[in-house]
Amino acid sequence: MKIKDELINLNQQKQKGWFKQFWSNLYRSIFRYGKIPQDAEGQSYAVFNNLFLHIHPVKVSRHSLKFSYTFGLGIIAAILFLILTFTGVWLMFYYFPSATEAYNRMLDLRSSVDFGFVLRNVHKWAAEAMVVVVILHMARVFFTGGYKPPREFNWMIGVVLLLLTLGLSFTGYLLPWDQLAFWAITVGTSIAGYAPIIGEPLRKFLLGGDTVGQEALIRFYVLHVVILPGLMVIFMAIHFWRIRKDGGLSHPSENEPTKKGNSR
Amino acid sequence: MKKNYTRTKPPEIDRRKFLTSLGWTGVGLSTLIASIGNLLYLKPAIDYGPPTLLRVGKPEDFKEGIKEIFETERVAVIRDKKGFAAISLTCTHLGCTIRTSEMGFECPCHGSQFDNDGFVTGGPAPKTLDWYQVAIAPNGELEIDKSIKITPGTYFKV
Ligand code: HEM
Ligand code: FES
Repeated sequence: MKIKDELINLNQQKQKGWFKQFWSNLYRSIFRYGKIPQDAEGQSYAVFNNLFLHIHPVKVSRHSLKFSYTFGLGIIAAILFLILTFTGVWLMFYYFPSATEAYNRMLDLRSSVDFGFVLRNVHKWAAEAMVVVVILHMARVFFTGGYKPPREFNWMIGVVLLLLTLGLSFTGYLLPWDQLAFWAITVGTSIAGYAPIIGEPLRKFLLGGDTVGQEALIRFYVLHVVILPGLMVIFMAIHFWRIRKDGGLSHPSENEPTKKGNSR
Repeated sequence: MKKNYTRTKPPEIDRRKFLTSLGWTGVGLSTLIASIGNLLYLKPAIDYGPPTLLRVGKPEDFKEGIKEIFETERVAVIRDKKGFAAISLTCTHLGCTIRTSEMGFECPCHGSQFDNDGFVTGGPAPKTLDWYQVAIAPNGELEIDKSIKITPGTYFKV
């Protein structure tokens, strides 16, 4: 949309009533373009000025918009993280990271708190789904060769995101403080303890002691609700920014000289 | 008199370079010190875990050849002809609590088996069960110190 067009638009608005003009101004302060633009220039402008669409370069390869290329796995993972953050923060209103309280609070969430069981189950299922989706996303990137230059750095960011997802999954598992949680973390931290040199210090750092107890619960809680989600947000931001800066998604014609009839 | 202002040899490190590297060294050192401080802070300093000293009763309360199980403390007290032994019930594989079996002990998690002295007879466990120090407390009760591990097979004679 050209500046001239904008001015014409503004002039036209003068003729509307004050109420209509108010809404129109408000709308335009948020969405700089008017209705969904139909011409190529306007569409580029719209993408360029929207934080969420801006993940795409101004011109997108037809190929990377094909559903079967990405299966939307990265976006699904991001949305699952949003769901987990929302339900997780909501759970925090009732959950209490104490060795005597945690289990009871979890039971209360399940049986007494209105919609508590819904939040808990959504959190649980979204968490399991996130692990699966992140791994599938990684497989997609591998099979389409999306890890090749210039995207090798973003692959490394992706590895960090996978580890963070697994870390959230592991730390969250202790929080219900039931038998399953207790023994899973006993076994899990023992496995960590077998790592050479850093194993034993790492186990002590996670547990805050020698066995799974109150100290372990508070450490896992802080990791689960503050540190790991915080790191996740930072690394997701870098991940998305890099997609844009690496020229959008990979596509097959990229590394070859453009063939005739190959519409990128 | 004519002066020659041209330097014969430029200094290898000029003032700017020197101060820059001094600055970066300062940044590096303070980062290092701060990281060490943060790591030390996170290292558990106080043991809030269950007490390591426990008194389990008078020696004559124990019958010969019977394994007395203290489940929450995760220790088995055994009386034998050779004396007393306190054997850890924490599996040396990945830390589950083991239970008694006909042959000695077995682990419900991944099936490790141990004989009556805690030596591994099967399964994934890599080490013999821990033996804790046994002593007589001033009040005549047996006292087990879980913080002191002794050579497996050394019985305590009363
Ligand atoms: C900001 C993000 C998050 C917050 C604030 C949060 C918060 C919580 C809280 C308070 C609980 C304990 C409540 C309960 O056990 O029902 C919990 C449980 C759990 N969380 Fe999260 N969480 C977040 C993200 C995640 C993510 C990304 C994952 C995994 C990918 C995850 C996996 C789990 C698991 C597996 C449990 C155990 C659920 C159960 O068995 O009840 N969480 N979370
Ligand atoms: S923890 Fe005992 S066999 Fe694995």
